[in-house]
Amino acid sequence: MALPLPLGLTHSEVAFVAEMELVTVVPRQRLESIDLLSGKTPPLRPPHRADLPLWLALLLKKQRRANIVPPPWLHPASLADIVHRETKVHPHAFSEPMPTASRARQSQPGYAGRIGGGDSSEVILSPPFRSNCTSAAPAGYLPYHWLEVAEALITHASDDLGGNTSEIRGLLRDLVEVRAAKMRDSAETLGAEGQGGVVSLRGVGAMELAENRGFVLGVVDGVRKIGGAVETARREKEEEMDLGGGDGGRGGYGGDGDSDDDMGI
Amino acid sequence: MSYYDIDSILTDAEKIPCTFQLDIPDLGYLDNTPKQPLKAGTKVNLPLWLAEMLVIANTGGPDNKTFVTFDLPRALGNDVVQALKADPRAVPLRDQSAHFYGLATHMMDLSEEQELGSVLRKTFVTRAAEISLHARKVGGVSTKGKGKEEGSNLGIGGAGEEFLRGLDEWERKLFRKAHDGAKSGKEWMDSIKKN
Repeated sequence: MALPLPLGLTHSEVAFVAEMELVTVVPRQRLESIDLLSGKTPPLRPPHRADLPLWLALLLKKQRRANIVPPPWLHPASLADIVHRETKVHPHAFSEPMPTASRARQSQPGYAGRIGGGDSSEVILSPPFRSNCTSAAPAGYLPYHWLEVAEALITHASDDLGGNTSEIRGLLRDLVEVRAAKMRDSAETLGAEGQGGVVSLRGVGAMELAENRGFVLGVVDGVRKIGGAVETARREKEEEMDLGGGDGGRGGYGGDGDSDDDMGI
Repeated sequence: MSYYDIDSILTDAEKIPCTFQLDIPDLGYLDNTPKQPLKAGTKVNLPLWLAEMLVIANTGGPDNKTFVTFDLPRALGNDVVQALKADPRAVPLRDQSAHFYGLATHMMDLSEEQELGSVLRKTFVTRAAEISLHARKVGGVSTKGKGKEEGSNLGIGGAGEEFLRGLDEWERKLFRKAHDGAKSGKEWMDSIKKN
């Protein structure tokens, strides 16, 4: 009780987790494969690119043994595009998360399938293991760990970013502000009647979640407490109606089902 | 809500106006008339925990009357509700009651005021958005080169401070959470620049 731990991950924990993201490096020296707990790293042969975890890439970068290839979404044009989309095109929604990797299906020409979708031998990869930050990632989308990876690269590998660090920094700052404002507004939509209290957090990054977790949960909790009295009254009424109609079988679940309808999912 | 929750205990101590429905002997001192029975129809402010019990319980008599009837406290009166409808941000809730929302939810449990619920909900979320805005801006003073921005964006010295002073306990907690989030975000940003 004395020192309650905050819910979820703290910022430094999130940043630590983000160091597991794979980034592409161009090695300057040969390095044999290292047997890590997370698997073997690819052997480094100087002119060939390789994907390494961010922490290892930063370590090699600091020792001048490798250069980091920035992910395409960190390019100023891509960031500017996202800022434009966040402010002008969809001023009330967070931009789409990065699409899952997909490829054309050979059996059905003209269709594409998610990698690992039907084939059980391939695994569907969730954010830390998907190559969202390598040079193969698509531009124009923000990965889950966008802010952490971007900040780490700006700080430690600014010379690999093509010399426009300040521009990138400015665009990132814009994005942070725009998305923080959306997060605030999302609290307000909770109160709109008929909306039923749902905030879509699709496309929100890990760092933003860590920052807003306390606040958003506080708001949701407050709304729940305020709505509690009204809700119980409504449930009781519904249950009475259910019983009165001779349909006692629905029991307490009737209320739950209806409230889901109200949320408009 | 835990048994030892100080806020819930303090909320229970809020006074609400009650009217006694029957004569009660030896309670006259509540109405400054000691040695006389408390007359039916007397209005007395009772703490919430007591009023709640008396409202729920009935006398067991033939007419099944309750001991007391209650009115909404002034903090939830018509004036305040109208003001909240007009602009939730302009009302200093703390002046009405330090445990405004706690009191309001309790009262909504007792009386079936449908409208109060929706007004409160709207109030809470509108003010929450405002709280979050202030929480992000206040206290980030240590970051260099940002002083100008903070000064101009919001009148921290004027309206902002006034608003923050009017927060009730729930809102203060919310402010603290939002502020902690923003603060640790800033600290993290600064920390990567250092190593």
